Amino acid sequence: MKVSKKLLTRLEGEAELKLFWQGEKIKDAYISVPNYRGFERILVGKPVMDALVINPRICGICGHAHLRATVEAIEDSLKRAGYEVTITEKARLFRDITLSLEIIQNHLRWFYLYLMPDVVKLKPSLRERFAPLKGSGWQEGVRASNYATKALATLAGQWPHSSYMVPGGVTCDPTEADINKVEALVERVVDFFEEKLAGIEIQSYMSMSGAKLIREVKGDILSFFEACFEHGLDSVGRSYGRFLTGGTIDPCVVPGTKSKRICKFHPERVYELGNYSFFSKNGRGYTWAKAARYGGVPCETGPLARQLIAKNPRVVSLYKKYGDSVLVRVFARLDEILTLSLSVLDKLRSVDLSQRSCIAPPKEVKSVSGEGIGVVEAARGTLIHKISVSRGKIKFYDVITPTVWNLGPRDDVYLGVAEKAMIGLDSELKAYTVLRSFDVCSVCTSH
Amino acid sequence: MNSEKLNLLWLHGLTCCGNTQSFLCAEEPLLSSFLRKVNLIYHPAISEEEELEVKVRAILNGDIKLDVLVLEGAVPKGESDKTYKLDGMSLSELVLKLSSLADYTVALGNCAVYGNIPALKEKNVSGLQYRFKEKGGILGKDFRSKSGMPVINISGCPAHPEWFIGVILSIASGKRILLDSYGRPKEFYAYYTHDGCMRNQYYEWKVEAESMGTKEGCLFYNFGCRGPMTKSSCNRILWNGVSSKTRSGQPCFGCTEFDFPRANLWETKYNMGIPAELPEGVSLRGYIMVSGIAKTFAPDRLKRRLIDEGE
Repeated sequence: MKVSKKLLTRLEGEAELKLFWQGEKIKDAYISVPNYRGFERILVGKPVMDALVINPRICGICGHAHLRATVEAIEDSLKRAGYEVTITEKARLFRDITLSLEIIQNHLRWFYLYLMPDVVKLKPSLRERFAPLKGSGWQEGVRASNYATKALATLAGQWPHSSYMVPGGVTCDPTEADINKVEALVERVVDFFEEKLAGIEIQSYMSMSGAKLIREVKGDILSFFEACFEHGLDSVGRSYGRFLTGGTIDPCVVPGTKSKRICKFHPERVYELGNYSFFSKNGRGYTWAKAARYGGVPCETGPLARQLIAKNPRVVSLYKKYGDSVLVRVFARLDEILTLSLSVLDKLRSVDLSQRSCIAPPKEVKSVSGEGIGVVEAARGTLIHKISVSRGKIKFYDVITPTVWNLGPRDDVYLGVAEKAMIGLDSELKAYTVLRSFDVCSVCTSH
Repeated sequence: MNSEKLNLLWLHGLTCCGNTQSFLCAEEPLLSSFLRKVNLIYHPAISEEEELEVKVRAILNGDIKLDVLVLEGAVPKGESDKTYKLDGMSLSELVLKLSSLADYTVALGNCAVYGNIPALKEKNVSGLQYRFKEKGGILGKDFRSKSGMPVINISGCPAHPEWFIGVILSIASGKRILLDSYGRPKEFYAYYTHDGCMRNQYYEWKVEAESMGTKEGCLFYNFGCRGPMTKSSCNRILWNGVSSKTRSGQPCFGCTEFDFPRANLWETKYNMGIPAELPEGVSLRGYIMVSGIAKTFAPDRLKRRLIDEGE
């Protein structure tokens, strides 16, 4: 049997893809993540507040989501120990706004820097716009992503690696002028979406779905759609069709699971299996990731899951026709740039700066013992942090990243979600594009 | 045109890729200027070239002149190195070979400089020329690149894009780069995070921040701020062009120094009522005298909110 192996670059970190061929078709696929740093071990014995500084360093592109998960896990541990933390509406809004901004910058950088250079190989006529470094799309994409990072840093001090969320709220105390600046920057993201990605007016874009949307959308989304139809990316990349969202970003993201219908999300049904990871020393391990399962089965998480569960009409209509193909998975991510930006603008307009930014918890964090969980949405999907604390010191820490759901290994029954999506494909390039459609972040996958 | 550009190769070790993401946040026109003056032979996330092997072979054969080698991330040594194999070479072997050919070797971010988080529980993981405070690292304490410079250390978790691009542009135009005792360019690391901090008046008059989440008060006295002991230009060259940790109410965590991340990052330790660590170069006696007087004569305006409903 022919075996091909490639170290995939142009993603967050590096990942190795090993493909087993039967004739002209892929029979099996292994995604392996080589670099392991060991954050969960490093955290043991550390003062609990230090996790707010260490954990964002798990990932250079979604560290803010790790910060949010950390602060929520700590607050949950305080609550379960009988010390409920009060947070003002202002602090809650800021947390949602900066998390949304991180997701927006991620989606822009991912599309222009990581995905489209591969699509160019399928469709060379797109080269001028989408070539790495030189393409106008590459350069404009970076610039647009920095409207979001600059807006984020205006509130959170810096990006990457801010630690501005603390138990009881946030550390920043911005002025109205700061809020105006953030608003102006986010408006530029919306303009970019309108002018470059959708190529049509926002109102008209938002009123369309299904075939009409496919027919009338222009801009870079159209270029991507055309490449999909020419190369069959509207039908490949399908996995289990089971989706999961654990976190909430009001009102665009709600928790739930979906296969045939949408059900409630129960965090206690989540667990990890390690029998195909290097952690189990049984010789079968091929990656530093574990396999995340929900009630025993693999689920896809990320923008497609979020937008299906939130019943976004554009994503739902395309999903009905094209399933969980590359086309729909990528579209869901792009559409989220707009929905999240618009919700950030709404939130900015409702922030009341006279409220307090931070209310100290009723008991000092360093004297509390207990257990807590933080479930949030990161750019790539549901991120779960679990903490166990003994008198202010971390006893145990567990991080289940979105990419562990999508890019983690198989178990004895099921292939990993992205592995399954590559079975039966007839070209390596398509396999890479399918894998990329999940937005690969190897640094989170292994952490 | 290409021959006038600096040939730069960027490698990843054990990293979160935060320095790559930080680099992409560079303010214009710096990023454009960098891309105009640098030929990015290979970068794991953003270059067109995907085959590192091809470029490495060409450099080792002498077909490509390597001007600058940039490493982002910590490096495992010898046996413990399972990161990846490239033409049979581990990352540490690759770094040794390439750094012997490059005119300049740059360690970007605290992992590449000191080992940082990936080195905390792994004795065999280190930075290029340091492992935390200890000089040595992968390349050894006496390493000099072909230009005669030791590793240029651009520390920080992450490093600010302007510090990095500033150094590369200086190399491109052949300017002299002065380094401090940790191999960091003085231009960016002669300053303290404290310099340019918006809370300096509160520090001077010893007015402490009572709680988090306010513009007012110094974070050095209660919240562990390491601004006066940390070399960085964070409050001189703002992050993302707009802010910094202390400007957004976070203490400085000292992420440009070898001992990042220390324990108890959010609190100030005291010995008999005096901060256990004083600003660099300040004597205990001097601190007690100055702070006692400052506290006694602190103006009332610093004890009120900066912006309120009053006149």
